[in-house]
Amino acid sequence: MTTPPRLAERLVRYAYRHDAALPAILGDLLEEFHWRAAESGPAAARAWYTREAISLACSSAWSSARASLLRPSTSTPMSRSAALRQDVRWSVRSLRRSPGFALLTALVIGLGVGATTAVFSVLRPLLIAPLPFGDPHELVWIANVTDDEGSLSGVTSRTSNLMDFRERSRTLDGITAINAFSAQQSYTLDADGRVEKLNGFGVAPDFFDVLEVRLAHGRSFNEEESTFDGPAAMVLSHAFWRQRFGGDPAVVGSTVTLNGGPAQVIGVLPSTFDFASVFTPGQSVDFLTLWEISDRTDAWGNTVHMVGRLRDGATADAAQSDLDAIVSALQAEQPDRWGLAADVTPLHAKISAPVRSGLLLLAAAAVTVLMIVCVNVSNMLLARMPGRMREIAIRKAMGAPRRRIMRQLVVESTLIGLAGSVVGAALAWGATRLVSATAGIRVPLLDQVAVDGVALLFAAVVATLVGVLVGLLPALRASEGGEAVLIRGGSRTATATLGARRLRESLVVAEVALATVLLVAGGLLVRSFQQVMSVDLGFDPEGAVAWQLNPTQQFASHAEVVAWHEAVEARIAALPGISSVGMIDGLPLGRNRSWGFDVVGWDEEANTGIGLYPHIVSPGYVDAMGTPLVAGRHLERFDDAASYRAVLINESAATDMFGSPDAALGQELDLWHDTPWRIVGVVGDVLHVSPESGAGTQVYFTLAQMADYAGMELVVRSTRALDETVSAVGAAMVEVDPSLPTDGFWTLEERVATAVSARRFLLQVLGAFGGSALLLAGMGIYGVLAYTVAERSSEIGIRMALGASSSTVLVSVVRRTLALAGIGLGVGVAVSVLASGTLRSLLFGVGPGDPATYLVTGSTLLAVAALAGLVPAMRAARISGVRALQSD
Amino acid sequence: MGRLGEFELLVLLSILRQRAAPYANRVRDDLEANADRRVTRGALYRTIDRLCEKGLLEWELEPSETPDRGGHPMRRLLVTAEGLEAVERTRDVLQRFMRGLDPVLGPALEEGLDA
Repeated sequence: MTTPPRLAERLVRYAYRHDAALPAILGDLLEEFHWRAAESGPAAARAWYTREAISLACSSAWSSARASLLRPSTSTPMSRSAALRQDVRWSVRSLRRSPGFALLTALVIGLGVGATTAVFSVLRPLLIAPLPFGDPHELVWIANVTDDEGSLSGVTSRTSNLMDFRERSRTLDGITAINAFSAQQSYTLDADGRVEKLNGFGVAPDFFDVLEVRLAHGRSFNEEESTFDGPAAMVLSHAFWRQRFGGDPAVVGSTVTLNGGPAQVIGVLPSTFDFASVFTPGQSVDFLTLWEISDRTDAWGNTVHMVGRLRDGATADAAQSDLDAIVSALQAEQPDRWGLAADVTPLHAKISAPVRSGLLLLAAAAVTVLMIVCVNVSNMLLARMPGRMREIAIRKAMGAPRRRIMRQLVVESTLIGLAGSVVGAALAWGATRLVSATAGIRVPLLDQVAVDGVALLFAAVVATLVGVLVGLLPALRASEGGEAVLIRGGSRTATATLGARRLRESLVVAEVALATVLLVAGGLLVRSFQQVMSVDLGFDPEGAVAWQLNPTQQFASHAEVVAWHEAVEARIAALPGISSVGMIDGLPLGRNRSWGFDVVGWDEEANTGIGLYPHIVSPGYVDAMGTPLVAGRHLERFDDAASYRAVLINESAATDMFGSPDAALGQELDLWHDTPWRIVGVVGDVLHVSPESGAGTQVYFTLAQMADYAGMELVVRSTRALDETVSAVGAAMVEVDPSLPTDGFWTLEERVATAVSARRFLLQVLGAFGGSALLLAGMGIYGVLAYTVAERSSEIGIRMALGASSSTVLVSVVRRTLALAGIGLGVGVAVSVLASGTLRSLLFGVGPGDPATYLVTGSTLLAVAALAGLVPAMRAARISGVRALQSD
Repeated sequence: MGRLGEFELLVLLSILRQRAAPYANRVRDDLEANADRRVTRGALYRTIDRLCEKGLLEWELEPSETPDRGGHPMRRLLVTAEGLEAVERTRDVLQRFMRGLDPVLGPALEEGLDA
């Protein structure tokens, strides 16, 4: 039976701990909770319970606060709580006297709390919260090898490894698998008279058992469905089930038409487990289907990612040594066996690894913003002190103990902090809504980002801490001596003022230093982003549109497949306004695979360890992508099954292997020890995997000669507008195959945007933080100088009366500003230089010491500082000597 | 003895309407369904506390067998004699002021009023 969130329940217990009705209140909540769980599902009910608990806690806090504030305090000496109540009352009164100040401080604190809470919410599912599986800490990811980062085949395993590990492992209770190349598979669903293209992912039959996923509806694969020869079965993703079948449980058990054959919908994933967000961030997965674990799939090479469940008490390290031993034993028994290796990492670490450093950077940046906020608010409170000195001095003179006065000031800032937490929570809510709604970002678990009860609690705790912290410094200063002078009504003692000014100035220096660090980090990422975007991808994404082609008919032979694709291509090429058209099994920046090969005529040693990235294309493809031909010729229509086997190779591979593009022509590659493939042309490098990684070795085959592809993607370049092209091409496709889905198109520019999305995301957030830091630093400088000028107005007045010109005064204030900013900048640059090394893994094309970044950061900060100092400086320059003297 | 606020009156009336089963959840459902207003749980509990302080309401814990309540008891709400008196007084005042206003307000809706 589902239970309400523990934390929320505890909150209610705490809020009503003095209320005799607490058991009944808990019962009321539980009753409605169960009703809601039955009505709209456990997740919604839990969310409701959390909201209800928070609202109840607020309500109870409100009524007890009201009660205590209204209660007259008569007793002396006062009890602790009575004194605190009085402090709260005084603070509220004092803040109400200056609502503008209170609001501004609350906003500034809210900014810091919002930034940290938003980042906390993004980080939590990735780095802190458990994965949506049973006992997720027991799950491990088993890769093949880790040093070959570029290629997917380098980290995937043969199913024979899985079968042997299952049999021999003593540390793993179960091992299941995901077919890593499922994205290359194409699926066409034909149900209720609608044809559409789907993304399916293959998983081993025991996938749900090993991960301990409880399906929302239906069941897992049964014995019969655990082989490709058995009936086809699909487990729908929760989102797809809701969107396509309206969340109708009756669809489970029904039969649909998938790729022209019958398939039964056997289950629906729970809403808590979004397969794509865990395993394939940035892609969508509509359903899971079977990936058979057998000798048959083993023969297809490295195909699977393995996920294992540790036996009770076993650790990932123990599993690693266990599998190492098994690998050595197997290798000894079967010397010819290839692809034997196992690298064990906890699943959670594996999933968060690609974005870990970026997210930690964000966390560091958010904490920096929060520190700047603290410094800023501290400074604002300090600046307000002298105005309140008289009030405080009177209270001290009347016998208020020092601690009491300090406490009141801290209570005051804590109240502001709590008000700030409301602003912060709202900001964080908005920011995370924006983030989780952004599709196509390759950051795992992004769908689970939300500001929930835990995040709100986090915001409240941070805000309270900030409130206490920023109140301490002014409180310490205020409680120091000097009351006699203040009561007498004389303005200030010179030494006390100087001390206070020094303190505020050092805070501004700290603020500028922190802002510098943030801006340098942000600047380096901006430069990296520029570099990534200016990389020559080797193809021209502009104006190219792509479709996934999923023929619905069954083909009797490969020749028929080829003829079908050629017909589609020819039909589209004949359309008016189409400048070029081509096909490939996988367009750039989408997927990845690799095949081993030998160069004919090389000895065994030279041939060791070379992998190629195969592309199976139609003859028009290279041209349609705008990739240049460097040497030799293009693939042509006559490179068909009857002709000799012709391939193209990319330029850098040709140069690396054979010395020059021309030298590569006529060389032969041996793939599977049958008829070799002759290099007939060399084309420009294409960055197929990502803009950040190199081209590697790429070989282009024609689809007429190489049958090893799951589906084709079509790319069209046209001189017409996008929507015209799309409808014209869609119509042409349907002419060839009436049931061909035509809705799944995308532009290559979108593909490039997705490939850099994580980087862009990081940059945007950091940019927002950097901007806030700059704003806060500017505010801090302005505040301090404006205050100093006001404070020194009589001194400045005397100087002016004695003959100082306005420009001298102006220059002296601006000089002070720049001096403060300069020191802060110096400290900030020093810290950045020391710390920027940690950014290295996130940078691309720039070093951590990039001079341009530092230069721009420095001049921006100085400019902002000068601007912030200019207003007070001008005010100082306008001070009239006589007026200043009169006022004192 | 203080006067009754509108929401306080509604809560007392709703408790009386529940007859054999005067429990907080039912009162809340009743108010949301028939009084045409959104009632937060916190507001309801606060009002119950206030009515108790005024001596218009009492409650006692009553063990509950409902599995959905996970063994938690229910709170049986009882309008005190003083509470009844307060309701009656308010009704009398309202009726006195309503009298003769039909031409201005239009006739009262009859259906559902005798629940």
